[in-house]
Amino acid sequence: MKHTFSTTHRAALALFVAAGLALAPLAQAAGNRGGGGHGGGHGGGHAGAGGARSKPQVNHSRADVRTNNVRSTSVNNVNVNRNVNVNVDNHGGCCHNGWDNDYHPIATAAAVTATVAVTSAVIGSIVRVPPPGCVPVNYGGYIYQQCGSTWYQPQGGQYVVIAPPY
Amino acid sequence: MKQRRLLLGLLALWLAAPGAYAQTAPANPVDPASVQALKDMGTHLQSLKRFRVSTELSGERVLADGQKLTHSASATMDVARPDRLRATMRSPRSQRVLYFDGSNATLYTPALKVYSTVELNDTLAGLVEKLENRFGIEVPLSDLFVWGTPAAPLDKIESAMNAGQDFVGDELCDHYAFRQGKVDWQIWISTGPKPLPRKVVITNRADEARPQSVSLIDWNLNPGFNDAVFRFVPPQGATQAQIVAPKTR
Repeated sequence: MKHTFSTTHRAALALFVAAGLALAPLAQAAGNRGGGGHGGGHGGGHAGAGGARSKPQVNHSRADVRTNNVRSTSVNNVNVNRNVNVNVDNHGGCCHNGWDNDYHPIATAAAVTATVAVTSAVIGSIVRVPPPGCVPVNYGGYIYQQCGSTWYQPQGGQYVVIAPPY
Repeated sequence: MKQRRLLLGLLALWLAAPGAYAQTAPANPVDPASVQALKDMGTHLQSLKRFRVSTELSGERVLADGQKLTHSASATMDVARPDRLRATMRSPRSQRVLYFDGSNATLYTPALKVYSTVELNDTLAGLVEKLENRFGIEVPLSDLFVWGTPAAPLDKIESAMNAGQDFVGDELCDHYAFRQGKVDWQIWISTGPKPLPRKVVITNRADEARPQSVSLIDWNLNPGFNDAVFRFVPPQGATQAQIVAPKTR
């Protein structure tokens, strides 16, 4: 995935991009700053949609590739549909989409070999804007851009090519 | 002689005492009082007509070799029973808002200005169940809407125990621990006349690494919102995304 970040220096210029401009390049510097202290510790203060405006976006580009290989997750409820929540839904990675789990593995080892052969875009590569003709799809509560057999996951104002989520 | 016999008797009593007080597992692993505490909490939850509840969640992912990573997320929900809800969900990569006005459920991603709407005429317990089963979408703290209804059967609990008392923040709580199926779970319920859940810990035993979620729960029983917050009005320029049902259910 390292080769995908040629836009780093360019993105650093875009430090003060308004949150509404979703397709603007990610501010790497801001993202790095947020990755340490603010990665998930949202205060209880902001309840509305505007809360994200002042917060730096996360940047996962330096995450170890091993973090993509998730075999199971914690669960968040005790009453609803236990059979689905625990380790059954195993396509395109692992696990049921918990409300906390906006993490879609870029690819498991098996998915990489299976998918690279049939898609033009390399899994793990990142673009600022998906190609024309892509359509937004809501799968498991999360929005992806589907372009034929290629799937993009929005990530910090950019789009990363992932293994198809289903 | 008499004195000696008394001494022997006392000695025997003393020796026997540890046996008399030995901790033996109760015959019934399901403590009825602990189950009753869940029932009381469920009844109380169902009696709340209008509230704001927020949660800070810490969850875990298990990597291929069993190493665990911890992540966090938070959510704020405005609720009006029986069938109104707005949930703002925040996790590191996205913020999403779920609107439910009793007839439509909309999931909106503000950063992308993309929304998906499905028709759904049901109560909050029905919303939780249908979003999960039809679309694989989880509502935060979904148990809150299920406890106290038939969808939260208490007879599936295989073990229930009182784990004493504890504080969550400054609030004194009764701590209970349960086992059912592949999960062990614990709950901290406010002690006193308003039995509200303040903390829930769920341990997933389906994986030997036992990934665990911890949810801290805050309540506002006198919220200031009005019913307009439950209606989704697409912002200018927002686009609609098709919602895809999970394939293997």
